[in-house]
Amino acid sequence: MDTQHRFLLGLLLLTISLLIITGLATDGPRTAAAGFLELQLHPARLINDFIEIRGLGAALLNGAAVGIIGLVLVLATGVSLSGPTYAAVFTLIGFGLFGKTPFNILPILFGVFLAGRYAGKTFSQYIIIALFGTALGPLVSTLAFELGLPYAASVVLAVAGGTFVGFLLPAAAVAMLHLHQGYNLYNMGLTCGFLGLFAASAIKAGGHTYSAALAWYSGGSLVPVLITPVLSLILIIAGLIIGKKKALGDFIAIQKHSGRLPSDFMEMESVGGALINSGVIGILGTAYVYTIGADFNGPVIGGFFTVMGFAAFGTHLRNSWPILAGVVASTLLFGMPLTAPGPVLAAIFSTTLGPLAGQFGPIVGFIAGFIHLIMVSFTGSWHGAMNLYNNGFAGGLTAALIVAVIQWYETTKTDVQKFTGD
Amino acid sequence: MKRNEYLVHLISGISAYILDSDPCRMVISLHQEEDGLHLSFMDDNEHSDEELQRIEKDLNSSKRPELASYYGAMTGQDLLGNSRLDLLGWQVKHSDVSRIDKGIKIDLWVGGERFQSHKFNIPEKED
Repeated sequence: MDTQHRFLLGLLLLTISLLIITGLATDGPRTAAAGFLELQLHPARLINDFIEIRGLGAALLNGAAVGIIGLVLVLATGVSLSGPTYAAVFTLIGFGLFGKTPFNILPILFGVFLAGRYAGKTFSQYIIIALFGTALGPLVSTLAFELGLPYAASVVLAVAGGTFVGFLLPAAAVAMLHLHQGYNLYNMGLTCGFLGLFAASAIKAGGHTYSAALAWYSGGSLVPVLITPVLSLILIIAGLIIGKKKALGDFIAIQKHSGRLPSDFMEMESVGGALINSGVIGILGTAYVYTIGADFNGPVIGGFFTVMGFAAFGTHLRNSWPILAGVVASTLLFGMPLTAPGPVLAAIFSTTLGPLAGQFGPIVGFIAGFIHLIMVSFTGSWHGAMNLYNNGFAGGLTAALIVAVIQWYETTKTDVQKFTGD
Repeated sequence: MKRNEYLVHLISGISAYILDSDPCRMVISLHQEEDGLHLSFMDDNEHSDEELQRIEKDLNSSKRPELASYYGAMTGQDLLGNSRLDLLGWQVKHSDVSRIDKGIKIDLWVGGERFQSHKFNIPEKED
């Protein structure tokens, strides 16, 4: 076990421990634990804020539990902690605040494991797909708790459905990657959205009607506001401890990369630089949400955890601001409030398109952000809100379009004609 | 993935990198056996020492099974953006970069667990 791995393991354990302590201290152990158990039985489709549903304590315990499962799997497979695995664990914790539960992610993880066995691969080779593939957790919850079947049949159907869709994930993930060529950071969002289309259609064909869900905490409690900035400060301090003065230089160097998948900033520059990038992204994200006066709740904090995780795997300030500017412009142009759930989440998660700005410049990034807001407002209903990475889905479609246009432009404006005579 | 497809990905990845510099000459040589293969690429471009070090670092990056099986599928598919040799580095057993009369030579060795490296002339490291 190398120094980097040990340091990151300690940092992730500290993060998870702080969430558990905060959860237990906020609502009391008994209330938090009871709420945590009740969350396992909740249909978790978008947008169900677990803080609103069962309280902050239960939500934090659930986020910690989901994160622990991810961390244990990474350790069990022998994969070193680095940019992608750090991003995966942070994303799991974040979505544990509004959709993922231990119950609904386990069948999917098992399905990916089976796919690996079938393909003759070790689970370590599919660990990234498995961890991010848990975005389809609500499919499991929907099959278990929304269809109105007898309890035993529901659970069997849910486990079988989750396992089956997990089995399909590796094949679909690679195909989706080719569509946008690595310019959508949340590739599993596109993958799960794609599979979600089929799953939602099948469930609708069976006679089920999806009811829209919106549980959104807007209570204004101080603790949810403080979680992200406190964690961000911890990450910045941790980055300075492990990287010392060099970490600041590496943080600057990270801004020069396009961020295109796969960009492991911890390997390309350093762990210290990536952690500072993570912390700075978290603080600026909090400042944005605070400035516009939006709510701090499960989805928003979950979004910050995701973006901070990806700050070690593709997201940075230089490639994010044009996307955010495009989302804000689109939101205002179409007369939507910046503080509404959709635009707030789009502003945070739209950084999935950062590599487009990083590679092709801020104008392309701005256009991508503008289109993204339009798309993400509608894509949720396509997959029955069962794909938690709805922004990754919309971002993937947006990236695929923009990549196709740029590719077409470049191939028609080059000197190939000199050779081919076309 | 079939061996042929895998080879095409590898050849495409390195070729794209070399062709980015618009060489007059590029030579690709392949020697394959049941348990492994040796690919060699030569060009006639000028390359700085820094570039050689970067190529060598990327092609000999630490093995990342969690990335190679997933993102490695993009090897040789970089139609837009810069060629990325690190995607290749996760998938090969060993690589060497050396200067030749004009340009450089990039050697890649690929093989399974039964791969006998001495048959493929991986230079032994000097102590």
